[in-house]
Amino acid sequence: MSIFTPTNQIRLTNVAVVRMKKGGKRFEIACYKNKVVNWRAGAEKELDEVLQTHSVFVNVSKGQVAKKDDLTKSFGTDDLTAICKEILAKGELQVSDKERHSQLETMFRDIATIVAEKCVNPETKRPYTVNLIEGAMKDIHYSVKPNKSSKQQALEVIRQLKESMEIQRAHMRLRFVLPAKEAKRLKEKLKPLLQVVESEDFDEQLEMVCLVDPGCFREIDELIRCETRGRGSLEVLSLKDVEEGDEKF
Amino acid sequence: MGLSSLDKIIALQRNPANIRNLCILAHVDHGKTTLADCLVATNGIISSRLAGKLRYLDSREDEQIRGITMKSSAISLHYRNGDQEYLLNLIDSPGHVDFSSEVSTAVRLCDGAIVVVDAVEGVCPQTQAVLRQAWLENIRPVLVINKIDRLIVELKLTSQEAYAHLQKILEQVNAVTGTLFTSKVLKERAEEDEEEEEKKKDSKTLSGDQVYDWSARLEEADDSQLYFSPDQGNVVFASATDGWGFSIQQFAQIYSQKMGIKAEVLLKTLWGDFYLNAKAKKIMKGAQAKGKKQLFVQLVLDNIWSLYDAVVTRRDKEKVEKVVTSLGVKLLARDLRHSDPKVLLSAICSQWLPVSQAVLLMVCEKLPSPLEIAAARVEKLMSVGARRFDSLPEQTQELKRAFLQCSSGANDPLIVFVSKMFAVDTKALPQNRQRPLTHEEMAQRRDLARQRHADSRAADHKGPTHSERTPQEGPPCNVLDCSVYRGPPEEEEEHQTFIAFARVFSGVAKKGQRVFVLGPKYDPAQALSMVNPGVSASGCVSEVPHLSCCTMESLYLLMGRELEELEEVPVGNVLGIGGLEVSVLKSATLSTSPACPPFIPLNFEATPIVRVAIEPKHPSEMPKLVRGMRLLNQADPCAEVLIQETGEHVLVTAGEVHLQRCLDDLRDRFAKIEISASKPIIPFRETVVRPPKVDMVNEDLGKQHKIAIIHQVKEGRSSATLHVDSGGLVTLTTPNRLATVSIRAMPLPQEVTSLLERSAELIRTLEQINMSLREGKSLDISHRTLEAIIGLKTQLEILLQGRKWRNAVDRVWAFGPRRIGPNILLNSVEGYQRPSVWQCLGRVVKAGEAGAQVIRDLDNSIVSGFQLATLAGPMCEEPLMGVCFSVEKWDIQSPASPQHQDSLEEDSIAHGTLEDSKVEGSSETLEEGATAGPIQARRRPEAASADCYGPVSGQLIAAMKEACRHAFQAQPQRLMVAMYTCEIMATADVLGRVYGVLGKREGRVLHEEMKEGTDMFIIKAVLPVAESFGFADEFRKKTSGLASPQLVFSHWEVISSDPYWVPTTEEEYLHFGEKADSANQSLKYMNAVRRRKGLYVEEKIVEHAEKQRTLGKNK
Repeated sequence: MSIFTPTNQIRLTNVAVVRMKKGGKRFEIACYKNKVVNWRAGAEKELDEVLQTHSVFVNVSKGQVAKKDDLTKSFGTDDLTAICKEILAKGELQVSDKERHSQLETMFRDIATIVAEKCVNPETKRPYTVNLIEGAMKDIHYSVKPNKSSKQQALEVIRQLKESMEIQRAHMRLRFVLPAKEAKRLKEKLKPLLQVVESEDFDEQLEMVCLVDPGCFREIDELIRCETRGRGSLEVLSLKDVEEGDEKF
Repeated sequence: MGLSSLDKIIALQRNPANIRNLCILAHVDHGKTTLADCLVATNGIISSRLAGKLRYLDSREDEQIRGITMKSSAISLHYRNGDQEYLLNLIDSPGHVDFSSEVSTAVRLCDGAIVVVDAVEGVCPQTQAVLRQAWLENIRPVLVINKIDRLIVELKLTSQEAYAHLQKILEQVNAVTGTLFTSKVLKERAEEDEEEEEKKKDSKTLSGDQVYDWSARLEEADDSQLYFSPDQGNVVFASATDGWGFSIQQFAQIYSQKMGIKAEVLLKTLWGDFYLNAKAKKIMKGAQAKGKKQLFVQLVLDNIWSLYDAVVTRRDKEKVEKVVTSLGVKLLARDLRHSDPKVLLSAICSQWLPVSQAVLLMVCEKLPSPLEIAAARVEKLMSVGARRFDSLPEQTQELKRAFLQCSSGANDPLIVFVSKMFAVDTKALPQNRQRPLTHEEMAQRRDLARQRHADSRAADHKGPTHSERTPQEGPPCNVLDCSVYRGPPEEEEEHQTFIAFARVFSGVAKKGQRVFVLGPKYDPAQALSMVNPGVSASGCVSEVPHLSCCTMESLYLLMGRELEELEEVPVGNVLGIGGLEVSVLKSATLSTSPACPPFIPLNFEATPIVRVAIEPKHPSEMPKLVRGMRLLNQADPCAEVLIQETGEHVLVTAGEVHLQRCLDDLRDRFAKIEISASKPIIPFRETVVRPPKVDMVNEDLGKQHKIAIIHQVKEGRSSATLHVDSGGLVTLTTPNRLATVSIRAMPLPQEVTSLLERSAELIRTLEQINMSLREGKSLDISHRTLEAIIGLKTQLEILLQGRKWRNAVDRVWAFGPRRIGPNILLNSVEGYQRPSVWQCLGRVVKAGEAGAQVIRDLDNSIVSGFQLATLAGPMCEEPLMGVCFSVEKWDIQSPASPQHQDSLEEDSIAHGTLEDSKVEGSSETLEEGATAGPIQARRRPEAASADCYGPVSGQLIAAMKEACRHAFQAQPQRLMVAMYTCEIMATADVLGRVYGVLGKREGRVLHEEMKEGTDMFIIKAVLPVAESFGFADEFRKKTSGLASPQLVFSHWEVISSDPYWVPTTEEEYLHFGEKADSANQSLKYMNAVRRRKGLYVEEKIVEHAEKQRTLGKNK
C-alpha cells in the first residue's frame, strides 16, 4: 500500500498510560505494556525498561506534554525522572493483558493450593494433590474473581467441588472439658456441630475428643465460652486430621 | 510330529526323569521368542512356516506392536527322541533391562537355561546380566549362537572369518562365566580366610603353609564343567529365522559315515585348530599356523555358505537343485517357485538342519531333569536371610531329601514356589469356556481350524502384516470356541483373575488342596515350636507369624496364551494356580508342611527407580484408580505402588519401557479409566544457617558487611507493630497492642537436627505424656520409654554445647511442626519458669520442684503459633528444619494503652478473654490478671468477641507465627533438598560417562571402588531428589546400559547457595555483574515450588519491554 514516509511525529504505539491527579491537574506518563506491575512489585529495577520516555504528559494519546509551571506547582520539582517515579508509584494504572493473565493464573493456583491444603478425600483421609484440584476446578468451569481474596474463593470452590467429587474439609481434632453441671445441656447443643466423637469420658467433668468441621470452630468456641462462663476449656489437638506417612500397597 | 494331547502331557508329567524345565535368556532382540516359536512349532501348535514370525508367546498387543517381549510366559512341549519321550516346560523371558524382574521369576522355576547370543552383536549387557542370574540361581546354561545368517548375508564374511568371529564370541561368553566363577571363588576364599583367621586366633599356632596365592586356589577349583564349548555339546549354532541350527555332534555323525573317521575323533577335532590333511587322510593340529582351513570351516561352514550363496545371493536354480538332491531334501514346487529366496531357504534348511531338533536334543541331553537338582541349590533356596542351612531345624533339613528325590508319593510334603502372579481375563479361563466336546473332538476340530488358519496365513504370508497379528484372531482354540461360547454376564467381563506362576518342587499339587502360605519372614523353627509338626493346613493356624492358609482352587497347565485345567500336578512341573490372589501378593512359598522354610527372595537385577505420580483425568474416578493400582501391584513383580503423605499416588517402575507398560495396563485392564502421569512433587525444607564469613568470590567479609548482607532483604519491613533489630531479634505486637513477643531464630547443629528426626516417635510419646501431666492425670510410663527419653535428653545436652546453648535443653518449650519435628522452641523469657518438656523426668527425679513452675495463660497460643510457623516457612511454604526459635520476651501489656480511649471497656475485654482461655489447672495468671479478680471476670464475656481483632488467643497465634517468620527471615536463609544415595555398578569403559551424567545433575561422588575379581566399579554418589526425574533413563542411554543406578533416599542437605543472593561487594560485582543472573540452584528450586503453589514469584512478565510486539492484535 503505502511507502513508509518518515514523519516528525513520534507515535507511541501500544502504550500503557499511568495517570495521576495532583494539584487539580491530571498528569500522565507513557509506559511499556506489561511492565508497570513488575515495577511496583520490585521485580523490575530498570526505569528505562518501564518508561517509554522520561516526559510527563497532560494527554499521552494527543501528545500534549505537561507544562513546566504546572509540574513545579504540583510536584514541587521539575525533575522529570523524579516526577515519573512518583506517578509510577502512586498513579492509577491500566493492567495489561499479560499482567492480568499471570495474575489470574497465580490466583487460580493459589486457590487450588488452599483447597488442597484444607481438604481430604473422605475415603482415604489423605489430601488431594494440587494438580487434581486444578483439574477439577477447570471441570466445573470455575472462574477466578480478581477482587475477592483467594481464601474466600477457596471456600466457595470447596462447596462447588463437593457436588462433583468426593471431597471434604479436613476435620479438626478438638478436645474439650466441660464442668459436670452444664455438661449434659451443653452436649445436646454441641451435638449437631460435631462430626465424629472419638472418646468421651464422664467422671467429675465431661471430657470429649472429637472431630469437627473447621467452619464450626468459632461457633463451638463461643458456645463453650458463653455457656460455661470460662470454666469449660477447649483445646485444638490437631488442625488437620489426615493420614500421616506413606502407605505401600 | 502331531499335536500332543493334554492326556499325553499329563502322562508325561508323572515321570520327572524326562521333564526339562528351561527358560530362554538373552539380550533384547537376540532372538529368544523366535527360537521359542521354532520349538513351539514342533508340537504343531503353530505352523512351522510361521515360526519366527508369529512370536506366539508374545500374547500382549503391545508386545506384538513393539516387537519386544514384556513378560515371561510358559508353554509345555512334548518331544520324542528315539524311544524317549520328554516333556519340556519352556519359559520365554524378556530381554529388555526394564523387565529383568520377569527374568528372575522365570529363572527361579527352571533347572536349565538356553542362553541366546546374537552372532553379530556378541555379548551384550543383558547377556552378562542373564548369565549372572543363571549363575546365582545355580541353574545350568546351554548356549545358542543365533543369527549366523547375518554373518553371511549382512556382514558378508567368508566362512574363515566367520569361524574366527564365532570363536571370539564363544570366548567372550566364557570370559563372563569365568569372571563369575573367579568372583565366587574369591568370595569363598575370603570367607574361609576369615574363618581361618579366627581359628588362628584361637589356637595361636603359626604355620608357614597357610600362605597361598589366589591363583593356586583358582586352579584348584574345578571349572571345566562351566564353560561353553561345541565339543562338549552345549553349544548350538543357529539361525532361528531361517529355521536351521546344528550342534557339531550332528555333523560328526554325518561325516563319520561319509569319511570313515570315528565319530569320537571328529567330535573332538571338529571345533578347534585342526585341519584335514587330504593326502594323509589324517586330521592334524595347527591349521592356523599352516594357513589351512579348519575342520569346522571346511566341513560345516563351507556347506552352509555355499547353500546361502546358491539360494540367496546368486539364486542359481540348477545349483539349488543339486544341493537339494545331495541333501536328500524334498521341496514343494510352491516353495521353489516363490519369489522370496528366504522361503526356499527356510524350506531347505528346516528339513536339512531343523533348529528345533538341534536345540531340543541338546536340552534333553545337557540340561538336568528335576531329579538332578543340585543339593547346593536346594540348600541355597531354603536358607533364607543369610542363615546357614545347617542351622535350620531338623525337620526342615529332612525336607531336603524330599527335594532331591523329587518324590511324588502321597505322603511327601508338597512344596510349591510361586514366582509371580499374572492377570488373565476371567472369561479366558478354561472353566468359563463351555466345553461340550471331548478332547479328541476338540483336537480334531482344532486341527481343522488351524489348517484353515495356517493356509490363509501362508497365502498372504510374505506381506509385512505378520507382526500385526493381534490377539483377536488369537489362538485357534478361541476361533473354535466362539461358536459355542455364549459369554458370561457383562459385569464379569471387567473382572481379572490372578493366576500364580509356580513350580512344584516336591509332592503332588492337587486341586482344592489346602496349603500353608509362607511369608518371606516366616521362621520354621519358631513355628514348629508353636504348633504340632503334624498339623495340616486344613486346620488353619493364625497365631504363627507370617503363616497363612489358602486353597488351591484350580490348577492349570500353561500353554502360552492358553490355559488347560488340570486335576493334579506332580513334582517337577511348572503350573498355574488359581485362587491365591487373596493370600499371595507377588511371590510366595506354598507347602503342606509347616517345617518348610520360605525360599530366598527373588534376586532382582534391576530395582524400581523411575517414580511418577499418577492421577485420574476425572477426579471422581479416584476409587477406580486405587483399585487398579492395587491390581497392578499384584500383577507386576517389579512395580511398586504407594500413596504418599501429600496424597499423591506414586508408581515406581524399573524403567521407561516398564513404566509405559504399567500405564497401559492400568488404562486398559486394571483401572479402565483415563489417567495422567506426571513428575512427582518434590519435597523441600527451609532452614537458616550461620552468617557466612566469606562472600561469593571467597573474599573475607568484614563485620559490617555481614550485617549488610543479612539485612538487605528486609529493608522497609519494619512497621508500627514490627521491629527488627540488628542482632536478628524480632519484636512483634498483636493488632490490639496488648501482647508483644520477641523472637530470635538460630540454626541448630546438624547432629541435633538428625537426632530429632530420628527420635520423632519418642518425642510423640513424650508429648502425650506431657499432655496428660498437664491435666494432672498420671500416666504409667514404662521404664524403657523413660530411659529412652533420658537418653535423648543427655544426647541433646552433649550436642548443644557452648555459650549460646547454655541450659538450652532444660528450656525446650516445644518441638515442631506437628509437635514432633526437627525444630525447637526455646523459652528464654526472663522470669517465666515454665515446666519444660522433660517434666515427666522431673516428676521422677525431683517431684517437689515441679509444683513451683506454672504455665502462663495463652501458653498454648505461643506453641500453636510456633507449630504453624514451622509447618510452612516464608521461602516457599515448605516445612522448616533445624531451626531454633528462642522467645526472649513475652509481655502482655497493661490494657490501658494510650491508643485506646475506652480503657475500662478494653480492660474488661482483656481480662475476660484471659479468664476465658485460661488453661485448666493453672492457678496463677499474670500480674494484671491476678488483680483483675473474679468481679471483672464475671462481666459479660461476650465482650471479647466484640473486639474487632477477634479473641486474644487467636491474635497471639497469628502474632507468634508472623514473628517466627520474620525472625527466620532475619537470618541467612537456605533451602534444603532431599538427597538420594545412588549406587552404581559400571564397567570401566563407561566410568567417564557415569561421572558426566552425575555432574550434570548436581550429583556428588562419594567413593568408588573396584569389585574384586571383575572389571566392575561400584560408585557411591549422592544426588538431589529434584534432579532424579529421568535420571535412570539418561543413565542407561549414556552408558549403553552398562551401568545401572539404584536410588535410595538418604538425608536432607542444605544447598549452600543463598536464594536471595545479590552481589554486594565490589569483587562480587566484578565477578558476577550487576544482575547476577548466573544460575542459582536454590533460587531455581524455590521459584519452581512457589510457582507450583501459586505464590508470588519475583519475575518479570516480559524481559525486554522494547521487544514486545508493538502491533495491534489483529495485524
